[in-house]
Amino acid sequence: VSVDGGAEANIGPAVTTAPPRGAPARGRIAGVAPRRLLVYLPILPALFAFVVLLGYPVVLVFAISFQKMGLRELVQHTTVWVGFQNYVTIFTDPTFWTITVRTIAFTVVNVFFTLVLGMGIALLLGALGKWLRLALSIALVLAWATPALTASVIFQWLFDSKFGVVNWFLTRIGVFGDYTNHSWFATGLSTFFVIALLIVWQAIPFVAFSLRAGILSIPTDQYEAARVDGASDIAIFRRITLPSILPLVLILTFLSVIWDFKVFTQIWTVRQGGPDGQTVTLAISAYLKGIAQAQYGVASAIAVVMVVILGVIMIPYLRTMLRSQEAA
Amino acid sequence: VSRSPARRAFVNVVGVVAIFLFAFPVYWMASSAFKLPGNIQTYEPQFLPIPATLDNFVTAVTRPYFPDFLRNSLVVSISTVVLALVVGLLAAATVSRVRFRGRRGFLLLVVVAQMAPFEALLIPMYLVFRQANLLNQLPALIITYFIFTLPFTIWALRGFIDGIPIELEESAMVDGASRWGAFRHVVLPLLGPGLVATSIFAFITAWNEFLYAYVLMRDTVNFTLPVWLATFKTAFGTDWGGTMAASTLFTLPVLIFFLLIQGRMVGGVTAGAVKG
Repeated sequence: VSVDGGAEANIGPAVTTAPPRGAPARGRIAGVAPRRLLVYLPILPALFAFVVLLGYPVVLVFAISFQKMGLRELVQHTTVWVGFQNYVTIFTDPTFWTITVRTIAFTVVNVFFTLVLGMGIALLLGALGKWLRLALSIALVLAWATPALTASVIFQWLFDSKFGVVNWFLTRIGVFGDYTNHSWFATGLSTFFVIALLIVWQAIPFVAFSLRAGILSIPTDQYEAARVDGASDIAIFRRITLPSILPLVLILTFLSVIWDFKVFTQIWTVRQGGPDGQTVTLAISAYLKGIAQAQYGVASAIAVVMVVILGVIMIPYLRTMLRSQEAA
Repeated sequence: VSRSPARRAFVNVVGVVAIFLFAFPVYWMASSAFKLPGNIQTYEPQFLPIPATLDNFVTAVTRPYFPDFLRNSLVVSISTVVLALVVGLLAAATVSRVRFRGRRGFLLLVVVAQMAPFEALLIPMYLVFRQANLLNQLPALIITYFIFTLPFTIWALRGFIDGIPIELEESAMVDGASRWGAFRHVVLPLLGPGLVATSIFAFITAWNEFLYAYVLMRDTVNFTLPVWLATFKTAFGTDWGGTMAASTLFTLPVLIFFLLIQGRMVGGVTAGAVKG
């Protein structure tokens, strides 16, 4: 306590004698010449983590994708280069294309509903009164904070065929017919529906809160001017709100694509890619080929395809991100 | 603009439906956890857990190995936080306060690392840990989660340090403090809330992680709580009460921590992305 107290006592007078803002910029404590190399010492551990601990596996996944690598090669410590053999294997496998298209379609559907509904919730937050807004915010935080794994378990309980509350509710309202003992996990499409619902349910809060924060930061005089001119709510949304938050919408879209494209936990926990492999995506496929079947080379080739697709998606995101960093 | 009562009512109804949709799954988990076994497997659902019981929680925590899973999760998560915080703070303070050569390059590296698709790096990581004889050992998870969380830790801490005026340190140094002393006595105390928020983020990430824990840990005794929870259904048959009690126990610390830092999570990721 005494040390801290002393430190604070030191700040007191120091602050008052501080030179006016802006003046010391040139005289920054920075970059002292004789100890130029010492400056790098504190970032060395982080650099080690990025270059070695992260960089090595990245290089390795590319290298292994060009090797025949199975349990035998692993145990004997042999390296067998096979060129593009693994890529030929996956590209000539019709299942791989089904899985790739499925993964992309799954991502597009999830991202679309996350963004559209997230925008709806953001606008709803603005339209609600104080208490309902608070209640909705709390409900959103609940969904957001729930671990993906827990959410997967809960949704399986909600959609349980025998005692699930969803089947009870659908049967009760009657519009959709009798859902007693309806099995949601019998077909791939229906299983995907539950998984997508669970992913979108968890993804909306972040998007909604971000969009709401973006909308709040738009200067209000623009709205007032539009109101005076008699613009409708829809016109105001299209002419003022949307253009102002478009960069934010783009960033949220990219982030959602990245997250949803490689999602593993929810899909695996719900049905391990079942029924009959119908909910296998690229991430699940890499796991099944690599860890379950010990075909590390083929699995790495799948992983590389994932990285390449993600890379293509990420380039415009990186550009937007760097631009907004420079502007800020 | 028309603010008709009909419109107001419509907005409120949509609001109530939305509140229900987002809160209900979590409510259903918690309420199922407190129900008597006979009141869970019913064709007519019971909406309030009355009479309530703690039996499901007792069932969950008295499962074999539960103390091991809890200890593993705590050891892994706390070690991750400490590692990421120490390494991240050193890097963040340097990036924020020193204009060194390669600073921009380092920041770019942080952004790229932040987006590394860990799901795609599973195979090489698995092989590396296997080669290093770290498979089935908690340090493998600690190292993995440390790499997961470090980029965000650096990025967030850098933002917090940038927010503290450099003049404070400079005047302390004018008063004779060393650079390290100025950082320790001036910046570090002001950094408290930032450190807490960043630690909680790292903790939640490590606590929730499933894929690597599932693949890298082989023996039951080395499982973390997510792996336990994922295999719960099969272990319990169809005991949804026990499953929901376990889920509630696993989720509760995350919920509490999350509420503490929720406000900071929104701005951080997307800062500066709105045209003024």
